[in-house]
Amino acid sequence: MGVDDALVPGERPRRTSPRVVLVHTATFRQARQLVPVLIPVAAVVGLDDGLLTIVVMAVVITVLSAAAASLSWWRFGYADRATAVVVTRGLLARSVRTVPNDRIRGVEVEAPPLHRLLGLVRVRIDAAAGAVATDAEELVVDGVPRAEGDRLRARLLARRPAGPPAPGDDGRPEPEPAEEEIARFDPRWLLYAPLVGSYLVVPVAAVGTLVRLVQELPDAVVPDLAGPEPSARLLVLTLVAAVPLLALAAVVGAAVVNWRYRLVRRGGSLVAVRGLLTRRHTELEVDRVRGGTLSEGLGMRWVRAARVNALVTGLGQANRRGQLLPLGPRTEALRLLGRLVEDPGPLTGHPPAALRRRLFRALAAGLAVTAGGVWAAATLGWWWVPAAGVVLTVLGVPMGIGRYRALGHGAGPRSFSVRSGWVVREQVVLQRRAVVGWEVRQSVLQRRAGLATVVACVGAGSGGYAAVDMAAADVPGFTTAASSGTWAGTLTPG
Amino acid sequence: MSADAAAPVRDPAWSLSRSAIGLWTTQGVLGTLWFALGTLAVFLVPDDAGGPVPVLRWAAPVVTLLYAVVAIGIRPWVRYRVHRWEVTGEAVYTLTGWLTRTWTLVPISRIQTVDVTRGVLQQLFGLATVAVLTASSQGTVRVLHLEADVAQRVADDLARRAELIRDEAT
Repeated sequence: MGVDDALVPGERPRRTSPRVVLVHTATFRQARQLVPVLIPVAAVVGLDDGLLTIVVMAVVITVLSAAAASLSWWRFGYADRATAVVVTRGLLARSVRTVPNDRIRGVEVEAPPLHRLLGLVRVRIDAAAGAVATDAEELVVDGVPRAEGDRLRARLLARRPAGPPAPGDDGRPEPEPAEEEIARFDPRWLLYAPLVGSYLVVPVAAVGTLVRLVQELPDAVVPDLAGPEPSARLLVLTLVAAVPLLALAAVVGAAVVNWRYRLVRRGGSLVAVRGLLTRRHTELEVDRVRGGTLSEGLGMRWVRAARVNALVTGLGQANRRGQLLPLGPRTEALRLLGRLVEDPGPLTGHPPAALRRRLFRALAAGLAVTAGGVWAAATLGWWWVPAAGVVLTVLGVPMGIGRYRALGHGAGPRSFSVRSGWVVREQVVLQRRAVVGWEVRQSVLQRRAGLATVVACVGAGSGGYAAVDMAAADVPGFTTAASSGTWAGTLTPG
Repeated sequence: MSADAAAPVRDPAWSLSRSAIGLWTTQGVLGTLWFALGTLAVFLVPDDAGGPVPVLRWAAPVVTLLYAVVAIGIRPWVRYRVHRWEVTGEAVYTLTGWLTRTWTLVPISRIQTVDVTRGVLQQLFGLATVAVLTASSQGTVRVLHLEADVAQRVADDLARRAELIRDEAT
């Protein structure tokens, strides 16, 4: 193969552990795609609902699953060469994927429960996402022994002082670098979970899956439960019972994901470890961190909680990967953010014209419904439509004000910050050197109001972070103060 | 431009090639043809068809006419007056748009790739687009509709200078 020196001859590709076949058989990893095919097949063949059918189907699926798992294990190979990682796979169409080492942005080692039982781990390798790339830039090596996983992780990220034996420019040989603990999860923080949208969604989704599963089972195995007659009282009781249950489930969900969360700095890397059932081990390079985001949802703001994500160049929108504080008090989040990037100082609010725009947008929907509702009430007698419109309009007022209050921007000596959002308020703090371009937008209405939206283009996170509706006159000052070097002075009217 | 006092930043110095007006006008004509086809289709529907047909019978020509006036008579000229570009010692700077204006500035030190593209219509008018890409998916500068030889010179110059002063580029 003539790719390049990445393929050192004689370097045999390694295989994953055969034990992974067991894991994949048990979890129907490859056979899962067959299930939608099997159900209609069973229907056509005309197997009646009975215990025998289920047993036969279970056996068939297990055998298929084992076969699929063995085949994909047999055809999978990986090799960590001197300059690149090569992954080979595919049953009929072989695919060889080569990722140069200097494009690797992070390595995650995770151990789901079954893997843990068999002493295996799954290694995910993040490759840099370029300007045009999508989020598919990830290699997965599933099912290597724990020691091999750790070796791979250390090997892929430990090429800081080029070459293994070189002592580096500072003359020190690299011993096992000292660990410094940056953050540790306090179990009391789990109490915030019911106020965080993403943790609340998990139990709801779980219930939904369960209901669907029960519906798909053959009738014979579902016991015929004669439930009580549905009534208004029952409905209210269910709802009352559901609220604490949902809260409890959110807490449990947060605990499962974030159990014994620790963030340590080890040499040039930030390492985050978390998880109760699936233990995750994420590593990011400090040199590539350009800043961070502090996000506070509506409910989290009540209890002064927040989460922190790191913005890492080349990592794209990899939210989970960059997560440094999954859930915690705001003070802790600010302290952590301060470790990533210097605090640029207090933010400047945006001019009152921005408030008018926020209010107009927040009220427009409600006013439109009200206007349409008046017509509906007059012609069709639907009095509830204008009533709903009025309620929407009234609710729009705090929303508009809240959205305006969230707006802000500020620049410090080495960093700058922008903030926006109401349902989830997000403050982005970035190093000045992170900016690779500025985009200033002004619509006709903004021009009238003397406002403009400024987007800092960054090679990390979502690619751009906006200061929405700032005073047009402040734009040149802010862009100059927030970018390194003198190039942003081009924007200043001369 | 009427409301220059409210402009947030200074405008780039150079305007585009005048051929750009011809190109935008052609695009407007092509767009109008699509609308006209749609209008024709409405009139091909038999008379007794109910529903929205009677309304469409008068709405479709009106919309087509309005579009033609804006896309052929107004938009190319406004665009030509708005669009500007400039390459300074340190950065590439453009202003685009016609209703919403967008100023984009990218320092030469952060340029990753420079592309020159020539669409079918652009070739007819002897024009080309220079796209300057950075590590950020949003930090892309496109200088639309330059004369082809100018575009090539600019691209070569930018690529060479980016090579010379490029720092980390991320």
